[in-house]
Amino acid sequence: MSKPILSDALAGVTVLEVGDARGEFAGLLLASMGAEVLRLEGRRGSHSRRVGPYTTPMPDPEHSLCFSRYNLGKRSVTLEVDHPAAAEAFARLAARADIIIDGGEATTVARRLERYQQWRTARPRLIVCTITPFGLDGPYRDLKMTDLTHLAMGGVMMSCGYDPQPDGTYDTPPIAPAMWQAYHIACEHAVLALTAALNYRELTGQGDVIDLSIHEAVSTCTEVAIPTWIYNQALVHRQTGRHAAERRSRPWLRKTSDGRYVKAFMFWGGHERRVIAQMMTEAGVEHDLDSESYRELAKNSPSEAGAHFSAMIDRFCAALPAEEIFHRAQAKGLLWASVRYPEENLDDPHFQARGTFQPIEHPELGRPLSYPASVGTDGRDPVTRFARPAPRLGEHTREVLTAAGLNAAEIDRLAAAEAI
Amino acid sequence: MAETERKRRPLEGVRVIDLTKIVAGPNCTRMLATMGAEVIRLEWHDQRALDLLRMVNPKAPGGDEESLNRSGLFNNINAGKYGATLNLSLPQGRDLLKRLVAKSTVLCENYSPNQMEKWGLGYQELSAVNPRLIYMQITGMGKSGTYNGYLSVGPTAQALSGLTHMSGLPEPMPPAGWGYSYLDHSTGYYGAMLVMAALLKLRRTGKGCYIDVSQTEVGLMTTGTAVPAAQLFGRKTPRLGNRAAETWAPHGAYPCRGADEWIAIAVQTDEHRQALRAEIGDASWAHDARFATAALRKANEDELDSRLAAWTRDHDRYDLMNRLQRRGIPAAAVQNAADRCERDAQLKARGYFVPLPHSEIGTWAVENFPARFGAMPVEVGGLPGRGAPMIGEDNDYVYRELLGLSPEEIATLQEEMVI
Repeated sequence: MSKPILSDALAGVTVLEVGDARGEFAGLLLASMGAEVLRLEGRRGSHSRRVGPYTTPMPDPEHSLCFSRYNLGKRSVTLEVDHPAAAEAFARLAARADIIIDGGEATTVARRLERYQQWRTARPRLIVCTITPFGLDGPYRDLKMTDLTHLAMGGVMMSCGYDPQPDGTYDTPPIAPAMWQAYHIACEHAVLALTAALNYRELTGQGDVIDLSIHEAVSTCTEVAIPTWIYNQALVHRQTGRHAAERRSRPWLRKTSDGRYVKAFMFWGGHERRVIAQMMTEAGVEHDLDSESYRELAKNSPSEAGAHFSAMIDRFCAALPAEEIFHRAQAKGLLWASVRYPEENLDDPHFQARGTFQPIEHPELGRPLSYPASVGTDGRDPVTRFARPAPRLGEHTREVLTAAGLNAAEIDRLAAAEAI
Repeated sequence: MAETERKRRPLEGVRVIDLTKIVAGPNCTRMLATMGAEVIRLEWHDQRALDLLRMVNPKAPGGDEESLNRSGLFNNINAGKYGATLNLSLPQGRDLLKRLVAKSTVLCENYSPNQMEKWGLGYQELSAVNPRLIYMQITGMGKSGTYNGYLSVGPTAQALSGLTHMSGLPEPMPPAGWGYSYLDHSTGYYGAMLVMAALLKLRRTGKGCYIDVSQTEVGLMTTGTAVPAAQLFGRKTPRLGNRAAETWAPHGAYPCRGADEWIAIAVQTDEHRQALRAEIGDASWAHDARFATAALRKANEDELDSRLAAWTRDHDRYDLMNRLQRRGIPAAAVQNAADRCERDAQLKARGYFVPLPHSEIGTWAVENFPARFGAMPVEVGGLPGRGAPMIGEDNDYVYRELLGLSPEEIATLQEEMVI
């Protein structure tokens, strides 16, 4: 494999990543594009080090898979950025940095922002991006939030869940999709803002201060929900395994013979009926979609015909395993897929050919684990890669501080003051 | 000079040829337009080339029912772009595209994987016209690999990537999945960030590149620890509902007074737990020894959740949110779109809804980029300072000003159904 084409796109860009785990995914994405990301995590280590699962039998901040996942490709420095004794060292690191990302609660971040502004006055090329629950102003600024409460307030949950009962009332709660999705969405926008800012700096020589709101980021990511209210004053209602909508739609999720599901996405057109009938015939599953009686039904009672067609799709899916249905349907040009566990893609020759996953060494296990590492190819090879595994706590403290011009005595004094 | 400097946009001078449809591709180019690129949407009226999103509800009320310019979702996702017509199924259309590519830096498309090659407009042909071109192709599963030719929309990619499986109540309940095309949104974000990274490299090396982004891989990128954890434990990724894999409990959505009204509560620390107990007051269950430690709360989570739900049910969700927040507990009303548009004081205060003019439907609110900038002009209305373009709205700009065609040539192209 040749060098991934965008794995050096940010070569020469140094990022200081300060604050809690809210900004870690942004640093991760920048690292995958070749930025030198220094995670300034303090002596206790990032909060994500204390979130499992762990690769060791007992919880161990050095072996959190959560930390590992969100910090691939970075270096770790245990600088206590809010410690008075660390002020000079932090300033020296910042003097060599292109970007500071600071994620956390607004009051904490705003306090540090005063220092960043001073550094920007001296060096306007510096780019600062704060990632806070609501941004640095506004009436909700200081509300306590987690990923779950962001997905609630930002509207994602109200579109995700299960069908209501026949009378339209819900007996199941709105669902928050798993795995820190609010932070993903926020950090993706942070990287959009930062890659734009790097382009802006090429044009103007100037950096900028970016005040990113996680709440706003989540809120922008709800597709038709907001326009439906703005234009129709109507709400979309959550449905099992398919889009929330103003009115109930037919199911997409179908149970398969191996107890799995396929997502049979449909436009409910005549073309689909023909190819599905053909697919059922080829698979030896009995159906009446080509019969005169079905044609009559379709003519006289389209909604009954639709329900019957849907029942036929259920019958087809119940007769075959999910993966076989996926490939048979795709061969017919249908937009269907098996509902996979994410890890099932590891062994799929398609993703192996694309280099989607990157094996990362885990010495404590004596074997590597593969992580998603690239969202695309250059036509053959993956476009991004991580240059190194996630760092041990403080693994690069001395090396980084020395490179920033601190001598051994200065570093020892920081250690004695418990600033590193 | 200072005034000029201040107004320079991050992607000044970057022209983007936009051959995208529905949401994933248009979201990518929307981000580029917001950052100041000149994005030109090229569309045609026939079934294959028309963006179906133009026909999708909701639509601005009144006006011509058949109009292609009234969709609210289309307006939201295509704000800040220029629009022109171009028929790529005709050789003259393909020739015009090449002439536009010669004057552009980026091309984004999300046709089915091999369509552009069928037209002789693949990366190889277009990079011969313009070696600096950054060609962004967005597909469901990727252009290279064994699924070349497989077709996909957001929900298809969500199913394959594992995101559908991971969202919902534990088995035997079926997956709930995402109630919208999440991967149309996020693939747009990744597409745009990779284009902007490639632009930095282009400035350095003078070379363009081809990027083949797939929605399924974007989905995998957002599966958190699931893939390495499954390898580590040799077990399939479980589905947890709203609960946390950690010992955090209670952690979920609880019913409140009113139809389908809920509050999300996330107790992560002992402080949260003590504060919640103080808010609940004397109810005996709140002091039950079965809920005394984090491990016990996790072990008895079903019981804990049903007790808490019985308590929250009598409260107004916003009132309860405020009370819990005052005690430092992460809690939030589960908001629908009406709540966000009408009640959310934060979104209003931060300028989240941006009124933008549209040439047919008048002025409508569009969702803003979710950050405020100190210096950079980052505007969702983009260079034209408006909502989405009407179909062919900027033909004159594209063909007369940009390509320098004469009025006669333009008239001929129109007669021949090329533009």
